[in-house]
Amino acid sequence: MKIKNSLLIEELLATTAWSTHAVEKLKELGVDQLNTKSNPTEWSVLECIEHLNLYGSFYLPVIEQAMLSQKPDKTAGLFKSGFIGDYFVNMIRVKPGKNKKMSTTRDKNPLGSVLTLTTVDRFLKQQQLLKTLLEQASYVDMTKLKTPISITKMVRLRLGDTLRFMVYHIERHVIQAERIKRNSKYI
Amino acid sequence: MTSEQTFTLNLINSLKTVGSKRTYSKGDFILKEGEVERNLYYVESGAIRVFLLSEYEEQSIRFGFAGSVINSLSSFFKGSPSEFYVEAIRKTTLLVIAKEKVQEIVNQDIESLIGYNQLLETVISQQMEREVDLLTVSPTERLKRVLERSPNLFQHIPLKYIASYLRMTPETLSRIRNS
Repeated sequence: MKIKNSLLIEELLATTAWSTHAVEKLKELGVDQLNTKSNPTEWSVLECIEHLNLYGSFYLPVIEQAMLSQKPDKTAGLFKSGFIGDYFVNMIRVKPGKNKKMSTTRDKNPLGSVLTLTTVDRFLKQQQLLKTLLEQASYVDMTKLKTPISITKMVRLRLGDTLRFMVYHIERHVIQAERIKRNSKYI
Repeated sequence: MTSEQTFTLNLINSLKTVGSKRTYSKGDFILKEGEVERNLYYVESGAIRVFLLSEYEEQSIRFGFAGSVINSLSSFFKGSPSEFYVEAIRKTTLLVIAKEKVQEIVNQDIESLIGYNQLLETVISQQMEREVDLLTVSPTERLKRVLERSPNLFQHIPLKYIASYLRMTPETLSRIRNS
């Protein structure tokens, strides 16, 4: 995949704005409803969001670090996706009609932790930071800059792919959170 | 007795007589980020903490337990939205007094006003102490400084919150406590 920086960022910002808005809406429900689940092995809304917080706590600092390591360049560049990066992004990205369940690593699984409304507030703060980082990302070389990933030290992704992964991974779980809300029988 | 001590006692007595009693369960928020602090609290029993939420963690900045007077201070002074959360960390009973009432007590006579001024000086000095805490590199030294100010901290506050106050992991804190 090859795309102009500005176009990629525009799309990622739009998706991010959608996720933020959806979670702000979810916050209006009480903490009890956000903690309900249809069965003990499934995640609640708050567990979905905490899962994203755990990811953000790893990825936001490494993204910021990568971006600070290079002087910003005002010329609009092109981003070329890497093979592994593109594979990861397509794996987690929600496609219409298809909804394959995936499993996560244990350190990113919040199942059973005690969660409160600050979980949502923390997520919204992370979204704000992600938005700021995305806005700056058009001006760096997202193909050349690399970040580590959380599951293995063997692979580093191109910054553009890391950003795509972040944004679509968030979208995936916000969609999941909305589905849980719709299906919960809480009155 | 200094004017400050007299004033503080007066304030606590007013809190005890006119303050309304409120009870919170563990985990309840007394104030959330974005809300304006309009009250001062006297902790009758239990324990509360004031913390700042960042993208990655909750940073505890102040604790209150039986006998403490506490709130989200800058919001209370300026009437601006609080940057901090105030949370009950166990079952807690507070006596709550409104800002207007506090001002009434402050302005009732010149003695009270002097006492209030001295109390503010103490609070500002404590904040400077806290600033030195945060600039102190050695974790052992940070713990020592806090225990000098507040020897009974561990009796009232769970270790994980003290660790956050000291900006270290709970593991580091228990290690230096045991050595």
